[in-house]
Amino acid sequence: MASTRVENLNRIMNKPFKISTVLITLFSAFLVYASFILGNNEDYLFPRLISGTIAVLSLMLWFEKGEADKSTNFKDLMPGIAIATAFILSLKILGFYLASMIVFFSLVMYYSKPTEPKDFWRVILIKLGVTIVFSLTLYALFTLLLKVRTPEGLF
Amino acid sequence: MEFLNYFDNVFTVYHIALLVGGTFAGIILGALPGLSPTMSVALLIPFTFHMKPESGLILLGAMYTATVAGGAISAILVNVPGAPANIATAMDGHKMAQSGKAKDALHYCFMSSFVGGIFGVLILIFFTPPLAALSLKFMSTELFWVAILGITIIATLDAKSVIKGLMSGLFGLMLATIGEHPTSAMERFVFTDHLEGGVHIVVGLIGLFAMPQVWNLLENFYGRKNEVFSATGDSTLMQSFRLVSGKIKALSIGSIIGSVIGIIPGAGGQIAGIVAYDQSKKVSSNRSNYGKGEPEAIIAAESANNSMVGPSLIPLLTLSIPGSPTAAVLLGGLLIHGIFPGHDIFTKNTEVVWTFIDSLIIAQILMLIIGLFLSRHSKWIMKVPDNYMAVGILLLAVFGTYSIQNDYSDVLIMFVLGTLMYFGSKAGFSPVPVVLGLILGTMTEEKFLLGNMIGNAKGSSFQHFTSGTINLILIVLCLASIAYGIYSSRKSK
Repeated sequence: MASTRVENLNRIMNKPFKISTVLITLFSAFLVYASFILGNNEDYLFPRLISGTIAVLSLMLWFEKGEADKSTNFKDLMPGIAIATAFILSLKILGFYLASMIVFFSLVMYYSKPTEPKDFWRVILIKLGVTIVFSLTLYALFTLLLKVRTPEGLF
Repeated sequence: MEFLNYFDNVFTVYHIALLVGGTFAGIILGALPGLSPTMSVALLIPFTFHMKPESGLILLGAMYTATVAGGAISAILVNVPGAPANIATAMDGHKMAQSGKAKDALHYCFMSSFVGGIFGVLILIFFTPPLAALSLKFMSTELFWVAILGITIIATLDAKSVIKGLMSGLFGLMLATIGEHPTSAMERFVFTDHLEGGVHIVVGLIGLFAMPQVWNLLENFYGRKNEVFSATGDSTLMQSFRLVSGKIKALSIGSIIGSVIGIIPGAGGQIAGIVAYDQSKKVSSNRSNYGKGEPEAIIAAESANNSMVGPSLIPLLTLSIPGSPTAAVLLGGLLIHGIFPGHDIFTKNTEVVWTFIDSLIIAQILMLIIGLFLSRHSKWIMKVPDNYMAVGILLLAVFGTYSIQNDYSDVLIMFVLGTLMYFGSKAGFSPVPVVLGLILGTMTEEKFLLGNMIGNAKGSSFQHFTSGTINLILIVLCLASIAYGIYSSRKSK
């Protein structure tokens, strides 16, 4: 069921060229609206010039014989975006280092090539080890040595 | 010969350590397929914040030099160019690897990169000061058109569609208008609190270059299968040196073409490598062997893409127009360290700029030594899995972005901007014009407003912007670059 939904999403989103042209035209219209309607004084002179030109170009895009959009493999990409988004949103709660360790381990676990069943635990331990070493290296290099600040939370 | 006075500044333990570290990391990052030099330099910029300007620029320059050369490793061993600049190298370099001569090909690469690189830096040294003096003639309207010219050139060269390229550049200019107005300080387009500070240049750089790489690595994780060849071969270093030094014609063609193309704003190493490859083939007595593993082809292509590095900084330092996409990122680095390109760059920042340029010569020498050393272990570098690379880039991008202003909003902007750019790139949009628009946005608006004010006082703003020899030349060049873009995109179809 879930995979059918993903395939449907793939089919809709990958309808090439026209969808991107529609989205870009809408975005251009928004820029014109924001520059000419919301911005109603001299401070918006330059943005008006730019957004007006963008709008003209977006209309020209409809008549251009361009290549089709490249297709997107949403099935493989979406889990990565979801994990990374959760990481970004949890930064202020968990703190950079704790959130980093979780996202590092989650991504390398999710995106992994099939292994032999007998190697399962060995692979997990290696990934866990790399996660800890990478995070500790970042901590030692940037926080302890260079005194660079990171988003604060639990750790 | 003023540049000779500043080598002392380069030869400090700290700066040599930065050069060695930058070169070492640059070659490895350049060698990893999927990590571009532009992204590597963009990711590094936040970490130079706490350094003195000359130290930060030395590190960025070493990274720029090394990533271009390092890209040849993956071009040869995997047939995946580490950077667009190494496309021509892959054609013959990988054929040599297939016939068990990868080590020889790597020797030729680093040796010819060194020759081309030194030639390019010398061009930078001798051509930049007179061109900087020439830029004195540029007033507000001329500088406005220079910025527009930079965007049109990059937009038309870097994108498959001229319309999309121009739109990308204009999107970049729009991004730069978010936040405070440059003169009245009134807030514009601040739809959420996160946009109050506008889009910081480095936040844009990291988002636009790093995040798309993360998504690309994850999206294609299960589909990518690259056969990595070992760096084996028969030649000793001395034999390779003799062969390379005997190919004067290929070295000269590569170095000269690379330098000329480097000076042309926006052209970059990809074009340099391919044009040099093509031209050396035309005059070579071994032309029938091109495409089958010809050393001359590798020598011409690699000397060209590295000789482009120095000259690509000439229009950057004098007119704020980068000669390559990575130079565009370097422009961000210069501005962040308070160095504003223009006619007075050699008077206001004499020490910093000459120290930076001198360090590029040392970076070329280190690139040769470290490159030859690393090429022996290059098979292992190629084996870094994509999932580790993706998460490593993601964490460094978030870390680097936050460290700029210690602002969580920057992280959100970087993430959203980068993700939108990834989907935009699927529709044929390129991040390079967006970045250039973002970098030049504030300057362009300031010059536009100033020119407009003077023009209104004179009676006609339009006439003020379209009169004067330099203005007219720049307008013609803008139109010519657009016309060339349309012509070349039609020709390629």
